[in-house]
Amino acid sequence: MKVITHTENLSKHYGKGGEIKAVDQVNLDIYEGETFGLLGPNGAGKTTTIRLLNCIIKPTSGSATVNGHSIIDDPDSVKRVTGLLAESPGLYDKLSAYEFLEFMAALYDVPGDIIPERISNLLKLFSLEDRRDHLLEGYSRGMKQKVLIAAALIHDPPMLFLDEPTSTLDPRAALMVKDLIHELAGQAKKTIFISSHILPIVEELCDRIGIINQGRLIALGTVDEIISQTGKANLEEAFIDLTGGIETRELLAWRDQKIADA
Amino acid sequence: MPMPKWAIIGRNQYRLVMSSVRFIRPYFMPLIIALLAIYIVYLAPAIVDAFVDDVLAFFLSQAAVALIQILLFAVFIWFFFFPVSLALKDIQAGQLESLLSAPVSPSQLLLGEFIGVMPFYGIAVVLLAGIFTAILGPIGIGIVQNFIIIAVFLLTFFSALWIGTVIAALLRSKLGQSEKGRDIGKALGFIIALPVVGIMYAMMGGGFLEALQNPGTSGAITGILGILPSSWGARIIIDFTSNPDVISMDTLARFGGILLFFASSMWLGFKVAERAYTLETGGLSASTAGRDGVLYNTIRSLGGGGAFGTLLVSITKDYGRRLQNLSRVAYIVGLVVLINLFLVRPGEPLEAMILAQALFAMLAAFVVGEVTIRGKEALFIYRKAPDGENRLIKARLVQGWMITVPICVIIIAVQLLLIPDVSIVELLGFTGAIAVVSSAYVVFSLGIFLTIPAFSDKGGEFVAIAMIVVFFAMFLFLGSLILLGKEWALPILLSVSWAVGILLLFLGRWNLGRIE
Repeated sequence: MKVITHTENLSKHYGKGGEIKAVDQVNLDIYEGETFGLLGPNGAGKTTTIRLLNCIIKPTSGSATVNGHSIIDDPDSVKRVTGLLAESPGLYDKLSAYEFLEFMAALYDVPGDIIPERISNLLKLFSLEDRRDHLLEGYSRGMKQKVLIAAALIHDPPMLFLDEPTSTLDPRAALMVKDLIHELAGQAKKTIFISSHILPIVEELCDRIGIINQGRLIALGTVDEIISQTGKANLEEAFIDLTGGIETRELLAWRDQKIADA
Repeated sequence: MPMPKWAIIGRNQYRLVMSSVRFIRPYFMPLIIALLAIYIVYLAPAIVDAFVDDVLAFFLSQAAVALIQILLFAVFIWFFFFPVSLALKDIQAGQLESLLSAPVSPSQLLLGEFIGVMPFYGIAVVLLAGIFTAILGPIGIGIVQNFIIIAVFLLTFFSALWIGTVIAALLRSKLGQSEKGRDIGKALGFIIALPVVGIMYAMMGGGFLEALQNPGTSGAITGILGILPSSWGARIIIDFTSNPDVISMDTLARFGGILLFFASSMWLGFKVAERAYTLETGGLSASTAGRDGVLYNTIRSLGGGGAFGTLLVSITKDYGRRLQNLSRVAYIVGLVVLINLFLVRPGEPLEAMILAQALFAMLAAFVVGEVTIRGKEALFIYRKAPDGENRLIKARLVQGWMITVPICVIIIAVQLLLIPDVSIVELLGFTGAIAVVSSAYVVFSLGIFLTIPAFSDKGGEFVAIAMIVVFFAMFLFLGSLILLGKEWALPILLSVSWAVGILLLFLGRWNLGRIE
């Protein structure tokens, strides 16, 4: 299988002397057409990894290529072959869905003569054609998420990055987004990179997953492979085991103490 | 050929600004251009014609030198501050990630943002330039000179707008990525208004008037103004009025200076654009709370030391750690200082008192108005707790008094001490009275803010309610003064403000229980 994204000791450090290691020596291959999930607790480095691979920030050390383009030497080419749904993207609330998509299309150099048709197709795909001229400020969260995914697809990139695509959505909207991701992977043959801390989403959607903690990629493989590597019963337990979760008993020890004192 | 990226971003920016009047958006610019053309060709000359003799006399006077400098300086400062203050009030960095993930350079983003708002500022420039060219027409100024004047206006004000846009973008990228940064931004948004207010007050009552009356003696002011390009432009206009047919070497040198200033500010802006449009900074480091010191322990003791004391300390901590709140207090104190420096005549304590009344009321409103600003959910925390809402009101009252009363007392004491013959009795009497009045304003403000809650500091609701408090204070004070005279004004003010305050507080308490 063709490797579409390759990272080599990819690192991003912040602070004086680089003491905060947001991403630390990550080595990763993503294959064309697969849906890859990056799992990790809050602050583990998922968003930083996605920002690095989308050339939004520059690595402190290491390198990466996306579809053959270097994120260091050729950022514009990387940006043209990737679509990004950011974790908390700012929407232009005062634009209509059509205007927003038109703006994003122009930014990604989609030729002017095909923009209307492209937008129309995307709005149809996401069942938003009836509301194309409504301002985004009036959209529900789920509908906004649809518009943002459409914006990420506007230049028809081969690779799509979805940063916490369902974390702020209600179950109905989350289900809708999950279905969309399924379709994009299955029918549109996109390579999809999802970051999330919601295990069932990743478990259900992804062909392979990586677990990142404190900037380091600590596990990589299919869900079954990771469960068997840790010797746990399910992904949740494997995740807790790998990322060092605190035992419940330990957390509730104060109650035992209180009962004993009484 | 595809549209340049900066033009795409500029068009988007224009669409955003025009979103509230979408139905006229396609016709807006042609309409405005037509109206401006009518203004330049007919209206401005007609206005000038009506006063042509006075206007000409003025332009040939010494006062024109200072006035034109001040006028251009004021517009220059406004063009600079407005985008900064707009950005600080509601810092949003969310869109940046989407923009940065697209193949767009920071310079294109910066230029696009600037181009997008330029037409709106351009309207102001055209209005100003139009009146000047109309005024200078009867003097016999030629086409080249007129062209230079228009270029001076465009270059000077768009330099200021450009610098303001760059600074706004820099602040947004630095402050927009964390809650702490946004708090700093809101605080700066308030404080940044003080220099502008200071300039305004100075123009109304300070050294600027002196500069107008006698430009030769006001070396400091002309010196300060002289370093800004707005002054170079003003000198060019003044030179044209004295010698309409001549373009002197001085004029050319000044025009060259303005051109150079514009070009350098553009160059510098593009240089720093990388820093203005980035998510590299990673936001500001998180703050940590230290252990409670003497201040909080004293407040806890003042609150009785028990649960109420702890509640009082918690509320005070949350208030004091928000820079936005502290900036509002600093803003009021700054206003008092500026008013006393520029507007109040020496030896006129009554003037100072009247103005101070309004500011003390505003201070009380800013301090306790925060009670509902974190939204209904924050209020429901108290509703859920036993007797929580009553305790919230008590704690907010005590906290409001703790902050407002000492500040008001210190301000009035300093003002009184500056009067040469003030006696101890007068000093104690007035400061005591102010302590009572300012504490009544706290009660009144809390009552108003609970009766008409502002659940957010966006949208001007908060400021509008604060203004109700200010108008009430002014109305009460001036009403008592006019109707009852100096002797009765203070006692009436004391009793009525407390009576109304208590009444509103009960109303506010009732309304608090009804909020859903």
